[in-house]
Amino acid sequence: MKISNRFIILLLLPASVMYLVFFLIPTFQALLYSLYDWSGFGAAPQFIGLANFNELLNDRVFWRSMGNTVGILIVGGIVIFGLAFVMTMMLSSGIRGKKFFRGVIFLPNIIAVIALTTLWGYMYTPRTGLFAAVFDAVGLTDLARFPWLGPDTIFMAMMIAIVWIEVGFYVVLLLAGVDKIPPDFYESAKLDGATDFQQFRFITVPLLSDVISIGMVLWSIHALKVFEFPFSFTGLEPNPGSYTVAVYLYILGFGQRQPIYRLGYATAVGVMLLLVVILVVLILRRVTRRETYQY
Amino acid sequence: MKKALLITVLASVLVMALGFGLVNAQEPVTLVYWSMWNETEGQARVLQEAIASFESTNPNITIDAVWNGRQNQTLVRTAISGGNQVIDLMDQDADQIAGGLMREGFALPLNDYLAQPAEDHEEPLMDVFLPNTLEMFSHDGQIYQLPYIYNTVQFWYDKRVFEEVGLAVPQTWDDLLAACDTLNAAGYAPIAAEGNEPGYAAFYLTELLARLKGPGWLQQAAADPTGEMWRDPAVLDAAQRTRMLWDNGCIPPETLGYVWPQGQNTLAFGTAAMELVGSWLPVELQNATDPEFQWGGYSFPMIEGGVGVTSDVYALLLAFMINKDTAHPDEAFAFLRHLMTDAIQQQFTDASLVGVTNKYIQWNSIIADAFAAASAATSTYGDVDGVASLYSEYLNTILYPNYVSLWQAGITPEEFVETLVTQSAQYWTDHPQS
Repeated sequence: MKISNRFIILLLLPASVMYLVFFLIPTFQALLYSLYDWSGFGAAPQFIGLANFNELLNDRVFWRSMGNTVGILIVGGIVIFGLAFVMTMMLSSGIRGKKFFRGVIFLPNIIAVIALTTLWGYMYTPRTGLFAAVFDAVGLTDLARFPWLGPDTIFMAMMIAIVWIEVGFYVVLLLAGVDKIPPDFYESAKLDGATDFQQFRFITVPLLSDVISIGMVLWSIHALKVFEFPFSFTGLEPNPGSYTVAVYLYILGFGQRQPIYRLGYATAVGVMLLLVVILVVLILRRVTRRETYQY
Repeated sequence: MKKALLITVLASVLVMALGFGLVNAQEPVTLVYWSMWNETEGQARVLQEAIASFESTNPNITIDAVWNGRQNQTLVRTAISGGNQVIDLMDQDADQIAGGLMREGFALPLNDYLAQPAEDHEEPLMDVFLPNTLEMFSHDGQIYQLPYIYNTVQFWYDKRVFEEVGLAVPQTWDDLLAACDTLNAAGYAPIAAEGNEPGYAAFYLTELLARLKGPGWLQQAAADPTGEMWRDPAVLDAAQRTRMLWDNGCIPPETLGYVWPQGQNTLAFGTAAMELVGSWLPVELQNATDPEFQWGGYSFPMIEGGVGVTSDVYALLLAFMINKDTAHPDEAFAFLRHLMTDAIQQQFTDASLVGVTNKYIQWNSIIADAFAAASAATSTYGDVDGVASLYSEYLNTILYPNYVSLWQAGITPEEFVETLVTQSAQYWTDHPQS
């Protein structure tokens, strides 16, 4: 039975309308608002052309936030994918209790972020935290008092927690891809004398290229707009030194505890973030483009 | 005959008046109140009881409360700008309202209402308030906010610890440093603090400059378009004293790693002796402190050569605001008048352990020292000496990052001053004041 084009269009229509109303129109409106000086309330918006973007160029807090965000993207990405590959290989090596370990690794993804920030905050607390207790127990009292959330190490401390939370998702993603690779490939490789690393390098990685590509795009988008963890990890009010772009956008537009309310400028920050996301995704698509393997 | 006619006319007028009165009294009014509290918080429960008692004495008025939590003002703004939601009343930190809805012209002036008698006193309602509370956020002689909860910023400590080591409350900066030595010798971390909390760190900058230059000076410096006011020797002095707290061992080095509430927990656990923070601290720590904990509070000490005094009080108020577009301003204010009655205000301090703005109410005993300070205040200043409400973006992008950097020893006091001068001048060039 041939399905008519009209019927297909009819089926697509509701989703398309919703996409148009709730995504495309607001996106274009945001582009427009970024050209205005507007509090988001009260007085009418004032058209100021590209002045918001010009101001962004000299905005130290914005560039510091962008630096933090890119740091999470790159450092976090390398560590997460490195660990995810190692865990995937271990879990797909025929280990007993694979489903249990997969579940445990994925667990942080289903826990509320606020609970996780509280947990990690406790672990890092000098003197009374979990790490401090461990260091105290082995006689490393200086390390037990070390301020892990001090200015020199807070970014690293936050990265460790973010990696711990996120890695499970990418392990599950990669595992799903690995499970689809026919075992014959590995058996043949073993018969030919291939080492575990050679099997990984010449079978697993090429056959997972699509999954890796999608995973990297997903991580990039997620990392560039990361908000909840940095926002709630640093206490009542995030320290401007640990803002990400998304946190800075929120502070500027919606105020949190400070009544800044510069929605036009915040929207310009959002537009810049959108441009960076598009740029990173395009670069990733180009870098990871390769011939697809049918198996 | 004439007399009978007169009686008939008078009776008719009386019946008609009563009739109108009844009709008016029964005309239903619904007030929409969006709250900064979560429904289960102690303050919310007192408000719920206040609403119930107000509704019982005003049966034609219903108050529809929405418990939004601390993001209230942001949600109110969004709802009002949506155009379909009528919100008659809202509450929030007074500093935040001043910099938000009030500045944007959405607050109803309350002067005429405040001149009317209080619900339970014969004097005008405005005379029921503690000194310098109603006026803190007035603009052009108009009062737009009704403060109902009063927090003071002071050093909070366990009296037992001070007694144990033989310490009197520090009156001067030198006393404070000496107290640090005594407490250190006794094995206590003298001052608890959060390492990474801009608002809490800035309590020190605010208090140091208030004592050195007097209230209002920090606000003027922040607004100086040239940035040159930051070159005043008092700023370098304040920055050096900030570092002194760390370098002299008043604040232990591991504090750098404390993220709220880890610093204040050290006070509750008995490892630290005091903390400069709002009078909400005893409430926040009530489940963490042992039952024998004896709360005391004292104002930031005087500094030799400074013009500020300890009766200058750092006051963080929570206030109500009536939407200027409300259809029921009289009823809305009647509810606020009800909130200011002795009974309701007493309930706030008894049940929620908070300070209140009604001068006749003794605050809960655990914050008695905050009440003493508030009652004796010769002047009050708001968050970061008013910078938080007037120049919030400047605070977040210039003052906070640099002061936190100084706080964490990322820059020296001299660098702090120079950076403030140059960044402030640049900021005000990019953001000319209207």
